[in-house]
Amino acid sequence: MEIFQYAFMRRAFIVGIILAIIIPCIGVTVVLKRLSMMGDALSHSSLAGVTIGLLLGINPVLGAMISCIVAAFGIEIIRKKIPQHAEIAIAIIMSTGIGIAGVLSGFVKNTANFNSFLFGSIVAISDFELYLVIGIGLIVLLAFILLYKELFFMSFNEKGAELAGVPVGLVNSIFTILIAITVAIAARTVGSLIVSAMMVVPVACAMQWAKSYRQTVVFSALFGVCFMIVGLCLAYYVGLKPGGTIVLTGVAFFMISIMIKKFYRR
Amino acid sequence: MRKIASITLAMTMTVTVMTGCGSKANQVVDHEGKLQVYTSFYPLYDFATKVGGDKVDVVNLVPTGVEPHDYEPSARNMAALEEADVFIYNGVGMESWVDKVLSTLENEDLLVVEASQGVDFIEGHTHDHEEEHTHEEEHAHGEEHNHDEEHTDSVDPHVWTSIRNAKIEMENIKDALVEADPENKDYYEANYNHYATQFDALDKTFTDTLSQFENREIIVAHEAFGYLCHDYDLTQVGIEGMNADSEPDPERMTEIIEFAKEHEIKVIFFEELVSPKVAETIAKEIGAQTMVLNPVEGLTEEQIAAGEDYLSVMAQNLEALKKALSR
Repeated sequence: MEIFQYAFMRRAFIVGIILAIIIPCIGVTVVLKRLSMMGDALSHSSLAGVTIGLLLGINPVLGAMISCIVAAFGIEIIRKKIPQHAEIAIAIIMSTGIGIAGVLSGFVKNTANFNSFLFGSIVAISDFELYLVIGIGLIVLLAFILLYKELFFMSFNEKGAELAGVPVGLVNSIFTILIAITVAIAARTVGSLIVSAMMVVPVACAMQWAKSYRQTVVFSALFGVCFMIVGLCLAYYVGLKPGGTIVLTGVAFFMISIMIKKFYRR
Repeated sequence: MRKIASITLAMTMTVTVMTGCGSKANQVVDHEGKLQVYTSFYPLYDFATKVGGDKVDVVNLVPTGVEPHDYEPSARNMAALEEADVFIYNGVGMESWVDKVLSTLENEDLLVVEASQGVDFIEGHTHDHEEEHTHEEEHAHGEEHNHDEEHTDSVDPHVWTSIRNAKIEMENIKDALVEADPENKDYYEANYNHYATQFDALDKTFTDTLSQFENREIIVAHEAFGYLCHDYDLTQVGIEGMNADSEPDPERMTEIIEFAKEHEIKVIFFEELVSPKVAETIAKEIGAQTMVLNPVEGLTEEQIAAGEDYLSVMAQNLEALKKALSR
């Protein structure tokens, strides 16, 4: 196929499909916890890490991971303090992240450097990013399979899970770190737009059709991969910006799925 | 979301950066009889400094290391402009904020200079007419563009990338300084003549050097080199069109890769103020190397510290072009 003739498109597919599997898997838990804006909040918070990294001379991707982990735990802590309004936690952390990034960016001398770590593009992926995504993909998938039961239980009833003997605190921490690292890397590589949409849109589609938790997870990953492939092909053959195309493909699927379901019910 | 993030950041960035430069802008009060000259971005600052010498204080509005396309003036800039004597900008849509700023200012004594006056403008590039536009360009040079057309988007604003145009801009600046400060006319004229000779010499070196090569095509990060290419009969192909910093689409990238293969291009140029990621991806695809070709829109802090200026950066560009065009 002509589309695979170029190395940059092959990379886009590899990285895109890996992320399209792991981000919706994480997304199921995130959505069930009513934290749909988490991806957005974390990818913006990671900007703070990038700036700090550039200023202190640490690798900005590492900086992004650290700030994402801090932000994710920050969301957890605030969420526990005001359980009725989990979304407040997200808004506060996101503002903090953007605020820090904005203030500190004034001290970054080289904007090119800054921009290259700030915004990823799925059609321009370096070797380093490719291996990073493959690595994190394996870790997340493994952790997700191992913690499957615990996450399932906790997603619906955290208190009940605790009473049943699930180490809620530990599982929550592991999961939070996983989200943070995934978002930090994915936002650098493919851009925060794809990350925040992939965390929610495939899950929303899957919820229309799935009859169980397991089905929701599997369908979410399948929908994710499907949007990614269709979006990348559209972007390539029609000549569109890839990030937006992938996300809009997902949204279009979601709308069609709602409409089909409406007729189906009648 | 990416757009929003970049806008938010750009805004906060300018605010913070400009607060940092506040001390400089505040010195307006302290005149010492020198002409207070404000320029929009680097090349104009450099030309104004060259001509004005120690008779003027030149302040550059776009901060060091910031892409001029990303810039918005701050409240402090506006306050400083109210006190200024001369304001120099490039025009032709390079500074989208100028019209708004000028209509807001109450400074009636401000002498406003559009430095690109008198330059033969060329059409801007759009990706869709990759083949046709080279011909259109030729036509555009032949006839004089009238000034009403200046602000349309289709005109390439990067006039200073041609050394000949840079000289015209410097001359416009010299005329303006003479108008604002007729007492020092001879001083400004002498400075202008001194540097104009250097500009001519560099232009001649460019012509002599570049005419030796058979290859005439270069691939650049964004299409900022239309005027330079026109002077020396080169063709630029831009990865991201005329505005820096937009996400490339895959179709455009394959076009560039095919173009590079066809013309056996060995170097992909990128700019210091724009992320090199896309240039690197394309270079890897075709086994080329990446190099800096500087559109002199702004210098980095290190370059300023090293005493670089328009002429020295252009001389480096010539070296880069030599490497890219030789087989």
